[in-house]
Parts: sequence; C-alpha cells; structure tokens
Amino acid sequence: MLRRWLVFLLMVPAACGLPRDPEGTSGRVAASHELRVGVTDNGPWTDGRSAEPRGIEPALVRAFAARLGAQVLWSRGSEATLAEALKHHDLDLAIGGFEAKTPWKSLAGVSQPFAESADKKKHVMLAPPGENRFILTLDSFLSEHLRASKGRPA
Amino acid sequence: MRGVPDKPGAERELGKAHRLAWLSIAYILSTIAMLFFVMSGSQALKTEMSGEILSLVPPTLFLVGDRISRRPPNRRFPFGYERAVSAGYIGAATALLLVGVYLFFDGGMKLAMREHPTIGGFPLFGHVVWTGWLGIAVLVWSGLPAHFIGRAKSKIAEVLHDKTLAADAEINQADWQSAAAAVLGLTGIAFGLWWADSLAAVLISVEIMRSGWSELKTALGDVMDRRPLTLDQKNDDPVPKQIDEFLRGQPWVKGVIVRVRERGREFTAEAHVVPTSDEVSVEEISRVGELACKLDPRLADVTIAPVKQMPEDVARARNSKEA
Repeated sequence: MLRRWLVFLLMVPAACGLPRDPEGTSGRVAASHELRVGVTDNGPWTDGRSAEPRGIEPALVRAFAARLGAQVLWSRGSEATLAEALKHHDLDLAIGGFEAKTPWKSLAGVSQPFAESADKKKHVMLAPPGENRFILTLDSFLSEHLRASKGRPA
Repeated sequence: MRGVPDKPGAERELGKAHRLAWLSIAYILSTIAMLFFVMSGSQALKTEMSGEILSLVPPTLFLVGDRISRRPPNRRFPFGYERAVSAGYIGAATALLLVGVYLFFDGGMKLAMREHPTIGGFPLFGHVVWTGWLGIAVLVWSGLPAHFIGRAKSKIAEVLHDKTLAADAEINQADWQSAAAAVLGLTGIAFGLWWADSLAAVLISVEIMRSGWSELKTALGDVMDRRPLTLDQKNDDPVPKQIDEFLRGQPWVKGVIVRVRERGREFTAEAHVVPTSDEVSVEEISRVGELACKLDPRLADVTIAPVKQMPEDVARARNSKEA
C-alpha cells in the first residue's frame, strides 16, 4: 500500500508535464509526427544493409514510434557522427548495440537498458542530452519491454 | 580523565559526542549510497556527493583524534599528543579547499559549455519514475536531520572546548543550504532550465571552498600557536587576560607577560614574571602557579618563569601590531 502511494506521489508531477525538455524534443515529435533515428551497423542489434533497417533495435524503435504516433525517419552514420548529431539535436534517437557504459555518455543521453546480453552487458539507446521528458518516455517504454521480455534480447 | 575539561558532566558529554559522531558517519554513508544511485547526469548532485564524502572527515578525525590526543606525554613527545588533531585538520582542510576549487571549475565549465544535464527514468516497484524526484527526496533526507545533529554537536563542543567537534557541527548545520541549492537545481531541470543544475553546483562548490578556507586558517593558526580564540574563532579567548590580571594582583609581581598556547582541547600558559625584589620563595611561585592553573578548566599547565628583565622576544609578544 505504502509503495503504491509512493509511486503515485512520484508520478503526480509527470501529469503536469514535468520534467520538461529544454529543447522541446517531445513537443516536436508530437507536432511533426516524425522520429529522427540514426542507425549504425552492429549485428544482431541493428542491420542497416537493407533499405529499411532490420534487427532487434529497429523493431523496438518502430514500436516506440507507433506509441508516440510518429513515423521513423531513418539515417545512417558512424557512432561518432550519430553522437555528434544527438548533441546538436539533429537526431532524436541513435541505435547500434550501444552498451550502458558507452563512451558517448558525455555527448548524448543514455536510456535505461532494454536487454541484457549473455555476457551481462546492458544494452541501451542514445538520446539527445538533457531532453529529460523525452528520455523519461523512452525509459518507461524500454523498461516495460525489458520486464515483458525478461531481459532476453528480442 | 585526561584531555577532558575539569567540569561537571564533561565525561558524559564526551560519551554523547562519540555516539553523535558514529551516528553522523552512518547517516552520511547512507546519504552517499543513495546519492550514488540517483546522481545520473546532475552536476549539482555530483557536487553534493563530493561534499558529503568530505564531511565524513570531521567526525572520523574527532573519533581518531580523541583516542590519540589522550595518550600521556613520553620522551619522544614530551608535550603529549594533544596537537595530533590539529595536524590531521590541516590535511583535511587542504583537501576540502582543493576539492571545492576543482568542483567550482567543473561546474563552471559545464555552464560555459552549455551542457544539458541528462536525468532519465528510474525503475521503481515496476514503474519508471523520474530520477530527479528521487534525487530531491534524498537531498531532503540528507539536509533535514543533519541540521539537528549539528545543533546537538555544537552544544557539546562548547562544553568540551573541542574545535574539531565545533567545526563538524558547523558543517552539519550548513549542510541544509547546499542540499537546498541542489534541490533548486533539480527543480530547475524539471522545468527545462538546464543551467539551473550547473549553477547550483557552482554555488555548492563555493560553500565547500569557503569552509575549507576557514578550517585551514583555524588549523594553521593552531599549529602556529596563535593567541587562543573563542570556539567560533571570532574573538580573543579571555584566558590570557585572566591569568595576566591574576598574576599582577600578587604583591611580589612587578611585570608580567603571559603567553597561552592552545593544544587541542587544552591550554598551556607560560608567564614571564619580573619580581619586585631579588628574592621570591619557590613555595610562593608554585602556589601561585597552581592557583593560576585553576582559573579555567581548560588550563592544563601554567609555567611561571621569574626573570630579571623581559627577554626581547617575549617583550614583543605584548605588541598588538601584527607583522
């Protein structure tokens, strides 16, 4: 009972739209119905050889975009170019088998893990730094997925 | 008991101080552990955590120092171990100052580089809540009781005349200010004001530097035998004047210069005395010395040195001018 109240208390501000995005990512995605996602090749998590990226993470991203009522605009690049683009808010999300201890932490925001690989590495997505409302939405989605899949990839 | 002022209830207060020091350590450790989990990208929380880690030092120094400082004097340390705490304090205060400077530049750089702090979700009982709210909860936990622990310590410090404890109490009491600054920083982030976080961090680091500087001044003054000050370091302690007046009141005394050293909780006094006549009985000198020693419970020892005229260097101690 106490737990439920505690969680309730912590969720109230969310109803008032807090935390907010300093650069308004959530608002932009909702208004334009577009989610700009950067992909870097890293099998089996991402496979960018075909026209539409495939793999574990692209499937997850599509589900997330559907939840937001948005379409995915894919682009490709190296890890470095994707992280740089996130920092300048030219992308909303980057995928490519990133791990929780990614060195890109200093440029981009790191999500909650959505899967744990066999060698106990936690897999995450990267988001624009400091867009905390957007990242919280993403974290809720990914944590839900993690619980539903019990940590197994896919 | 050695190293405890000769006052009623002093020993009981010392026991209380020990329990409070252990309570502080346990309490600070719990705060550090929680901050570690909710810190995420917040510079203000990182700064607050560094401050918490540093605030472990004073209660530890108090517990360790209390043990060492009671050891009796021996051949190697003929004045005893009372100064051990002051020596430890110089190191701790320097660390405090340097960490404050580092955090100041760290936060300032983040502000200048317009870095947006990332604080995401935290899985809790099957829900995901914003980590920032948990951060605020931890800050309230760290700030509120610290204030009351600090108040209790400062009362005991007064009784024991313990500077370590007084400084510790002051840090505890100031803690709510830095916690409040961090809460404002996190609230700022919640409202999309990315700069609020680094700004709060810079303010907290200034507080860390300030307390480092004042502790360093106190500790250096102690080892340099600065004239004793009251516990708040603001006024001259009345003891040198009391001894001076007491000795001047003796019929055989013509001139007096009293120099008092502060050694941990104790004072040692040295009085150069020019007698009126060439002959003073040893008995009289020791009687007056013992009486002078009873003027204040903190006085451990009063040495009376009869001289024909004041040595030049000792005479200089009377000058109020500082070099």
